[in-house]
Amino acid sequence: MPSYTLTVNSVEKTVSVDTDTPLLWVLRDKLGLTGTKYGCGKGLCGACTVQYKGNAVRSCTLTADSVLEGNITTIEGLSEGQNHPVQQAWRELDVPQCGYCQSGQIISAATLLSKNPKPTEDEINASMAGNICRCGTYTRIREAFQLAASKLDE
Amino acid sequence: MKNTLKRRNFIKLTVSASGALIAGVHLQSCMPKKPQAEVHQFSPLIKIDTDGWISLIAKNPEIGQGVKTALPMILAEELGANWNKVKVVQADYDTIYDEQWAGGSYAIILNWDLMRTAGAMVRQVLIEAASKKMNLPVEEFITKNSKVFHTKSNKTLPFEELIAEASQIPLPEEVEFKPTDSFEIVGKNIPQVDLDKLVSGGAEFAIDIKLPEMVYATVLKNPVFEGGVSSYDDEDARLVNGVIDIIELNNAAYGGRLLGPNSPNFVNGVAVIANSTWATFKAAKKLKVVWDNTGSRKENTDEIFERFHAQLSNTSIERKDGDIAKAKRSAASSFEAVYEVPFLAHATMEPMNCTVDFRTDVCEVWVPTQNPEALQEGLIKLFGLQPEQIKIHLPRIGGAFGRRYYVDYAMDAAVLSKKTGKPVKLTWTREEDIRHDWYRPGSVQKISASLDKDGMVTGWQHILANASRKTSLGREGGPAGTEIDEYDFPAGFVPNLQLEYGHVLSDVPLGQWRAVASSANAFTVHCFLDELAILNKTDPIDYFLKFIGPERMVPVVDDYEFDLKRLIHVVEKVRQNSNWDTPLPEGQGRGFAARKGAGSFIAEVVTVSADENRKIKILKVDAIVDCGIVVNPSGATAQVEGGILEGLCAALYGEITFKDGATEQSNFHDYKWMRMGEVPEIHIEFIKNELPPRGLGEPPLPPAIPALVNAIYAATGKRIRKLPIVQ
Repeated sequence: MPSYTLTVNSVEKTVSVDTDTPLLWVLRDKLGLTGTKYGCGKGLCGACTVQYKGNAVRSCTLTADSVLEGNITTIEGLSEGQNHPVQQAWRELDVPQCGYCQSGQIISAATLLSKNPKPTEDEINASMAGNICRCGTYTRIREAFQLAASKLDE
Repeated sequence: MKNTLKRRNFIKLTVSASGALIAGVHLQSCMPKKPQAEVHQFSPLIKIDTDGWISLIAKNPEIGQGVKTALPMILAEELGANWNKVKVVQADYDTIYDEQWAGGSYAIILNWDLMRTAGAMVRQVLIEAASKKMNLPVEEFITKNSKVFHTKSNKTLPFEELIAEASQIPLPEEVEFKPTDSFEIVGKNIPQVDLDKLVSGGAEFAIDIKLPEMVYATVLKNPVFEGGVSSYDDEDARLVNGVIDIIELNNAAYGGRLLGPNSPNFVNGVAVIANSTWATFKAAKKLKVVWDNTGSRKENTDEIFERFHAQLSNTSIERKDGDIAKAKRSAASSFEAVYEVPFLAHATMEPMNCTVDFRTDVCEVWVPTQNPEALQEGLIKLFGLQPEQIKIHLPRIGGAFGRRYYVDYAMDAAVLSKKTGKPVKLTWTREEDIRHDWYRPGSVQKISASLDKDGMVTGWQHILANASRKTSLGREGGPAGTEIDEYDFPAGFVPNLQLEYGHVLSDVPLGQWRAVASSANAFTVHCFLDELAILNKTDPIDYFLKFIGPERMVPVVDDYEFDLKRLIHVVEKVRQNSNWDTPLPEGQGRGFAARKGAGSFIAEVVTVSADENRKIKILKVDAIVDCGIVVNPSGATAQVEGGILEGLCAALYGEITFKDGATEQSNFHDYKWMRMGEVPEIHIEFIKNELPPRGLGEPPLPPAIPALVNAIYAATGKRIRKLPIVQ
């Protein structure tokens, strides 16, 4: 089995996995970073969203050998002390229900705000379209966007 | 307010080795149906540590409905605990806690009095201990912020300083509940207890469990229900790196129809055991299985619905009031409509999975289940275990919606751990999850009304045909509650009424889906009422209010009354909040529905717009909810938001279809779920009252479906009688 060195949350990690192993399963089964979730395996639901080189990507459809050139940020490494403005907003509005999709939602939201600190509603909708919440926390996520944006403004 | 549970032996105080005061309970002994004279075993519910921290047990499974926060809140309220120094501990499955399941909107209904009684009993003991210590009368004390507080002198004694005295005090015969107007925790927006973990990836779901020496598993099941495995070639699968073993799951070999002869089989298949989840998924794709489908009916959706239609004229009568034939003869006019409701999957975000360590004679399970009792029962039947050989942990669950009443995936995991002699984590792919659900029954429903000269209903006949009697939660023979029964609205409201059920046999595994029968029947009944209003050229809310009549108690059946005052109130309020009587621009429309569910009353108005191609956009939902006391407004509002969106989404897209005995859908591309851009504004208001809290998980869902369909009619003039709306 080939060996790969990935930079996960700014730390280099070397893993031995088959070439076609999706990043999701490297994170979950090999590195124990279980905050990133399996939902569909086909990039349809967004539960596995992580940042790669600052972009939101679906870790279930990216193989380990395709993410060697930049930093991979998972929910566990999004911020020091879990205090990213998006996480703060999520806390203040008590956003999650079952919580399973929330890591992916938070990573997608944080990614959009890092590129566009004042997104319009259409931009939010477009950028969050890849993340399903089965419980229906969407209205609170929308509110949390406003709150997080105002925190970034401060 | 005095409490009715006069069983002081259901609770016992002890002091632990570390000096903590522990209130153990035997909740099962409180249940009227299971009276027990003597109780010798207790499980902890409240623990007051010497450092002032209080641990409270959350007894029920947390599926996202917020019980892990709400039930301990009730305990903390009556105890007078400082919520900021409360640790909530999730219970394992333990029969002593009783009714330890998630479903039917029952958690608050069943536990409100129990949690209050337990909290109040410990409070009274702490007060008595303080009263003795300070030599002042008990009447002058209250508890607050984990302290006993002497109201006349403002002197306080923290709970932790009363442990020794309290443990010596006999429990009171009777407890007094706190007046609801003095509540300091119940009724406040309390953030859910796992919130920090949920926003940082630290919340542990069953799918995240990792045990030493654990191996991974997945299953490839026969896509055809009631099919089996004829033979399989696993040569290529075994070549995948990390594969340890391939095991046939032939459930005839492990107990067959464990849930009873009338329930669907746990589907046969082939399991892959490997050293990573990915290896199991990859190898499963390389299995070449010859399926044996001789036992299957090889059903197709169209043909199933044809049989439903045919069965409308071959029914059993579930309820008969007055004489509908007579009403028909004397009617000024009549109206009837036939509706079709599709099969639905649950598609929980966390796919079915289970981790089992069955290396010894103890079977230890980490399982996302709504129904640990069914799992215990299954394991006892299959392996001949004693209850004490089964340990079931209940990690938080990534959505359930009824799917996790059924424990097929957990039974498979137990079989695989036993066979491999290793701890096994079984994870289903999303494809297996969608194809092997226990689906919300599709149905065909016909409603006929006899009308007087004013267009009001004098006779009502509702016939429902589906296949739902095949499954019954393991209880043989009985209905699954997914059809029509004597409680169905408008029973009790129409003098001549007949509710009928036509049963069709099918292989499709059927089960509970959020709001169960109401998820289908609210659509037909409340759309039919809207049709009658339109026919009568009357405003739909006016028509509904006239239909249900003036404020009164409606005796639906002997033990079930309908308090119309509360229903009328939510209807009037939603009319106001939604600006119902203000005209909308061309191309927009409002729809309405109101219902009672799980003891709560909910009225909803949906506002939609349609463009020139009749493409619908849902603009807004207004909801008024009367569920009695709102235990945690944040969690309660979340349940209403979620229920409404789930109803709207199912109405728009939800449909599972079958071809040659197998489900055609397999993932979120063909079983669509609502995305951010489609989500309307939602405005929710709770009616404030002091009535005991009732259920909220299910009731918000059913009215959303007819309210949406009625709004589409108002906007476009197009009447939809078949779901989903987007075909």
